[in-house]
Amino acid sequence: MIRLALDMLRADRAKFFAMILAVALSVFLMQNQAAILSSIMTMTGSQIRDVPAAGLWVMEPDTECFDQAKPVRDTALYRVRGTDGVDWAVPLLKVDAFARSENGKLTLAVILGVDDSSLVGLPPRVILGDAAAIRERDTCLIDPGGYSLLFPKEPYVLGKRIRIADTFLRIVGISDASPPFTGFPIIHATRSTAIPLNRGEGRNQTFILGQLKPGADAAAVCSSIESTTGLKARTAAQFTADSQNFYASQGVPMLFYIVIGIGLVVGAAITGQTFLMFVKENERHLSLMKVVGVTTPQMAGMLFCQAGLVVALGSCFGTGLASLTTTLSRTQPFLRGIYIPTYVAVATCAALAVVTAAAVLLALRNVQKLEPASVFRG
Amino acid sequence: MKHDPALPPPAVRCDDIHKSFGTGEAKVEVLRGIDFTAAMGGMTFLVGPSGCGKTTLISVIAGLLEATSGKVELFGTEVAKLPSRDRILFRRKNLGFVFQQYNLLPSLSAAENAAVPLLAAGVPRKAALDKASQVLDRLGLGSRTRALPRILSGGQQQRVALARALVHEPRLVICDEPTAALDAESGHSVMELLSQTAVHPDRAVIVVSHDNRVFHFADRLAYMNDGSITKTETQAAWAA
Repeated sequence: MIRLALDMLRADRAKFFAMILAVALSVFLMQNQAAILSSIMTMTGSQIRDVPAAGLWVMEPDTECFDQAKPVRDTALYRVRGTDGVDWAVPLLKVDAFARSENGKLTLAVILGVDDSSLVGLPPRVILGDAAAIRERDTCLIDPGGYSLLFPKEPYVLGKRIRIADTFLRIVGISDASPPFTGFPIIHATRSTAIPLNRGEGRNQTFILGQLKPGADAAAVCSSIESTTGLKARTAAQFTADSQNFYASQGVPMLFYIVIGIGLVVGAAITGQTFLMFVKENERHLSLMKVVGVTTPQMAGMLFCQAGLVVALGSCFGTGLASLTTTLSRTQPFLRGIYIPTYVAVATCAALAVVTAAAVLLALRNVQKLEPASVFRG
Repeated sequence: MKHDPALPPPAVRCDDIHKSFGTGEAKVEVLRGIDFTAAMGGMTFLVGPSGCGKTTLISVIAGLLEATSGKVELFGTEVAKLPSRDRILFRRKNLGFVFQQYNLLPSLSAAENAAVPLLAAGVPRKAALDKASQVLDRLGLGSRTRALPRILSGGQQQRVALARALVHEPRLVICDEPTAALDAESGHSVMELLSQTAVHPDRAVIVVSHDNRVFHFADRLAYMNDGSITKTETQAAWAA
């Protein structure tokens, strides 16, 4: 009976393809928007995740996210180092300043001054060059997005210079820094290189990065740091979540939720309506099946198989299309972080499956109401 | 059309069947106290003008409609008293149908259409299609088993419908105006096949028709008018 059901479905090609297209477009729309939302929310924690060595982040108490960091007094570093349970701690300076390239391109940039000796604060990989080369004075790493902003359409070439606050920094590497939420270039230098760029601020660190001793309780250590220093101490995971929550509270996700909702409603409306029409137009055939002894569970199985095929094919096409667009997006330096999380792919397909199942149940109710004797009418 | 107690029990027995639709002033009584029997091994024709209640009566006999009052027994079983699921299973096993408009599924081949009752009963697809092909072969459609209904003539489509009615070897075949949509030659040919293949000592066949060109195929005729059976006669009496 399953094969018969699928044959019946495929025979009405117009409706079959209309339903697949509706599911595919709906899945595409939802996955695309959910992927962008998920990716940009992930980007709010990019620079925190880029320092996997640091399990602890210490900052000014009113800091709500990485991009909103405020200067921390220099003496706090020693207090953090002296806290029980802290294995090591190093300073990180974040400077927001204008960067200008030799060809005159100007952009606001984020300069991260990492500890001179340990270089903790650098991203784990460089695409080109040597990360350790930033130990040389007035040198830096720049991320691919920043390079493409300052040197548009130029291939990666080391040795180019950028000017920040009257200081020329020589690019010694292209870092694999994760794309930031703000879209500004991410420039890594040593803190000694970065401090002169930090005009107008008397303090030379923005964060204190640290790591717990093995076996230390993170919550207790954070609490101890906060009581000792008066600063805010968060684990890397907590700080990432704080940053995401801060941006989430700004209303950005709402716009995406609306489009995702529209995708679901459009998909549900078209798929459900077309499926109900398909069943309506096949009422005579379904009546015949009831007459020849097809039971209600068999009929339900047939309808669910038909809907299952539509959802499976539509979801595959929709996911394929969404994957294609995100893959194409990733060729742009600032969109390298765009991807479709597995849970988004599964959830969107599942949402469409639920909606279609609801349409099947509605259709089944109509089928149950069919009067088998109507098949005798000419 | 009372049954003679001296004879073996009939395949179909209807006692004082009433069927009405609607309520109050809109109430229409379609069947008015029908007594009817159909015997094994022959064709019983239900004849009469359009609107006299023939189709309603066979719908009640098949268990597709419930009588307002009265009793219908098929092979000694009062089908209306069976639970809904058992009624469907009873119908699946014991009844075959031929319709005026064939009612073939347009997306399925002739063999698949003929195999539907077997597939519904859970017979494996290959076995069901093999059996359906054999029946189609007997009905002269052995070379058209893979053809879709739209490329078959009306007579051929009705033969596929006949194959679907016989493929599961039911004990009762109900035919509703099987020749009404066919020209005289095709209609005659279908009735000949029906009488050759459907009539069987262990099977009863009820044919609803108002086409008097095919009445000579009947073993018995029951005349209906205005919801009642007005007369019954044997083939010999009709021919005379």
